[in-house]
Amino acid sequence: MITFENVTKTYTDGTTALSSINLSVKDGELLTLIGPSGCGKTTTMKMINRLIEPTSGEVFIHNKNIQDYNIHELRWNIGYVLQEIALFPHMTIEENISIVPEMKKWNKKDISKRIDELMKMVNLDPEIHRRRKPSELSGGQQQRVGVLRALAADPDIILMDEPFSALDPISREQLQKDILSLHKEIKKTIVFVTHDIDEAMAMGDRVCLMQEGEIVQVDSPQNLILNPANAFVEDFIGERKSPWQTAVDVIIDQTQQHVISLNEFEEGAVPQLEAYVVKDSNGAFLFGVYKGEKVDMPVIEHGKTLTEAMSEFEKVRYPLLPVARNNSVIGTLSYKDMVFHLKKQMMKTKSEVIKP
Amino acid sequence: MNSFIEVFQQRQGILLEKIWEHLQISIIALVIATLISVPLGLLLTRKKRVAEPVIGVTAVLQTIPSLAVLAFLIPFFGIGQTPAVIALTAYGLLPILRNTYTGIKEVDPALREAATGMGMNSFRRLSKVELPLAMPVIMAGIRTSMVLIVGTTTIAALIGAGGLGDLILLGLDRGGDVNLILLGAIPAAVLAIVLDLVLRLFERTSAKSGFRSLVSLLVIAALIALGPLAFGGKIQNDITIGAKLGSEPAILINMYKLLIEEETDLSVGLEENLGKTDLVFGALQEGSIDMYPEFTGTAIVSLLEEEADSNDETEVYEQARQGMSEEYGLAFLQPMEFNNTYAVATTKETAEQYDLDTIGDLRSVQDEITAGFTLEFNDRQDGYQGMKEVYGLDLAEVETMDPGLRQGAIENGDVDIIDAYATDSYMIDLDLTVLDDPENLFPPYQGAPLLREETLDQHPEIEDALNQLSGQITDDEMREMNYDVDFEDRDPEEVAREYLIENGLIEE
Repeated sequence: MITFENVTKTYTDGTTALSSINLSVKDGELLTLIGPSGCGKTTTMKMINRLIEPTSGEVFIHNKNIQDYNIHELRWNIGYVLQEIALFPHMTIEENISIVPEMKKWNKKDISKRIDELMKMVNLDPEIHRRRKPSELSGGQQQRVGVLRALAADPDIILMDEPFSALDPISREQLQKDILSLHKEIKKTIVFVTHDIDEAMAMGDRVCLMQEGEIVQVDSPQNLILNPANAFVEDFIGERKSPWQTAVDVIIDQTQQHVISLNEFEEGAVPQLEAYVVKDSNGAFLFGVYKGEKVDMPVIEHGKTLTEAMSEFEKVRYPLLPVARNNSVIGTLSYKDMVFHLKKQMMKTKSEVIKP
Repeated sequence: MNSFIEVFQQRQGILLEKIWEHLQISIIALVIATLISVPLGLLLTRKKRVAEPVIGVTAVLQTIPSLAVLAFLIPFFGIGQTPAVIALTAYGLLPILRNTYTGIKEVDPALREAATGMGMNSFRRLSKVELPLAMPVIMAGIRTSMVLIVGTTTIAALIGAGGLGDLILLGLDRGGDVNLILLGAIPAAVLAIVLDLVLRLFERTSAKSGFRSLVSLLVIAALIALGPLAFGGKIQNDITIGAKLGSEPAILINMYKLLIEEETDLSVGLEENLGKTDLVFGALQEGSIDMYPEFTGTAIVSLLEEEADSNDETEVYEQARQGMSEEYGLAFLQPMEFNNTYAVATTKETAEQYDLDTIGDLRSVQDEITAGFTLEFNDRQDGYQGMKEVYGLDLAEVETMDPGLRQGAIENGDVDIIDAYATDSYMIDLDLTVLDDPENLFPPYQGAPLLREETLDQHPEIEDALNQLSGQITDDEMREMNYDVDFEDRDPEEVAREYLIENGLIEE
């Protein structure tokens, strides 16, 4: 989808922002770019819509060098969400959203329909909000419009530059959820820059960790934790606020020893365990078995934090629950898994007070 | 107050004309200043390195006194509306330019990046994002310029551009006639306020429509500026006669006009109240006017920068005539009789109190008295500078003031002595005494037509027509006529015609 080949950026004052980056973003994935300030994560992202041009090296989209696209058309097909939100204050919400569709010469009716559709998607009532000015909206609502503006002309790629850093924690969390569910629905390729490791881990299908203009590791959140490439990665991930914020897919048991198929269950090939789960041929969760009895169990989404998972456990009496990704069971999570993880984190950060 | 209403009613017709002229000059200048400054300001935001130097240049323009700009422009553009509009435009540049530049520059960089990142091209970004956001700041600049221009336009009257300044100048010349000055000043202020309101209205709409409102504003302004031309449609005359500020020159040029039109087939246009010697002489050299009445003494001292070889009237005239011809290629026709030389005047009481008869007597009281001199007199070799040398004077307090304000100053006792001209009408009115000049410091100042030699070559018949006045008009007659215009508020043309008829120079 997006490929960086030996991309280097050197500024005229001699500082090197990026040195020979190679990176490829897969179609439909949400890639988070993270690293300490000055690591080049924003520079990398802005090269995709040519806000920053590389000194050497090439960037390809759909295997075509981005220099070969008309620069304006290229940008019309790349949604852009800014840290500063940057809605145009002199335009109404609908005017803000319709900027790119207008430039792409959509007809008025289609634009209007699209605005309604988008606003409903993020729970903004078009009747109430269409004609308002951005200043009449809360920060969270504004950035929601900022995201809609980027989505308006149905681009293949969306760039997000620390989109939630200016928001309060509650709005931020809400928007993170919104983006994740949007991403699940619309399957856009999203490049998401953040400086918040929790956000990076919770949002990203893959996380690209950068340091001093170089890519240190690109991997799934889970692998990043399980197999850090070096001490820097380990340290950086260790800086997370609390082990309770860890996404469950980092710590789940993926050995499948607690998961069996419906066939196996019907054939009586059941494990001699206190609890296990049964999935159908598509991988979807069917039911759990606890002390030999069929029971219904809540399914934990793979991106949920440990805290959220814990509240599910509190509602039921089972020691183990299924974890799913896109309706497909990818493993199980048990009290034991959680305790081991917490203990490991405790050892790393002895002096830190850990709060649930 | 009653007399103000009276003055207002008397001059209602001319007032409307002057307001319209004023409005047109101001708006033309404002439109041109806007058309230059806004695009230039936009350009500068794209070329930041040259921005400060360019804005600096317009700031320098702003610091030059408006009168100096006008005087500087006369050699290139003559007199009338053109140099006035150029000078006023120069004045209007800075606020609009600076505000345009600042307004665009201060647009939140994140908004600019959002616009670029969304794929707007440079023009679209400017018209859809930057201009609408900067518009309130740009409009504030335009409003500031507008007030500056409307105010400064009053000075443009000095170079014959018309406008409300004509009324103010007239008021100043008539010994500071407060009513006349107010009649010019109040409408100028009202004009500024009304235009400000109009611009503010536009500013409000501009927040929404941005580019469009600026364009519509310019179109409306252009319509007013080019609308019914109050001053543009002047008939082209064969000869244009100019005159310095004041009633005497105005009466004289009306006589010239009447005589020329009586004796020849030429048509004559008049440009009254053109300010001081430098401005009128500049206009003559440049060719905006063909002729104006000048004094023999002024020709020698101010224009030729010589000293008079003698104080004999004929010799002085001869020296001036030769000098003007050789130095400037100008013809100086024969002078009239009256000698409007400088005089140092004081009130009867002051003269008696200090026992003053001659200028030299002032030495004994030079630390006690205050002098009120015109800027010109104070600076001239045949004025106060000569007084210092010839009579060894060194007055402790000299206040320089506009000619029209001297009479009021001496009447109120603010000053004790003033410079005056021998034919000034208020000398009688205020009962002033002239101090003798035993050393003959002041050279003879006889009025005579000063004209371009080309004009004389083209129309040789006007020489005879004008020389009919040679040796005519005594000091008393001139003073009387000045009195009629200054104190009886009579029209200079009427006074001139009356004199010519009485003396059989023209027919009734």
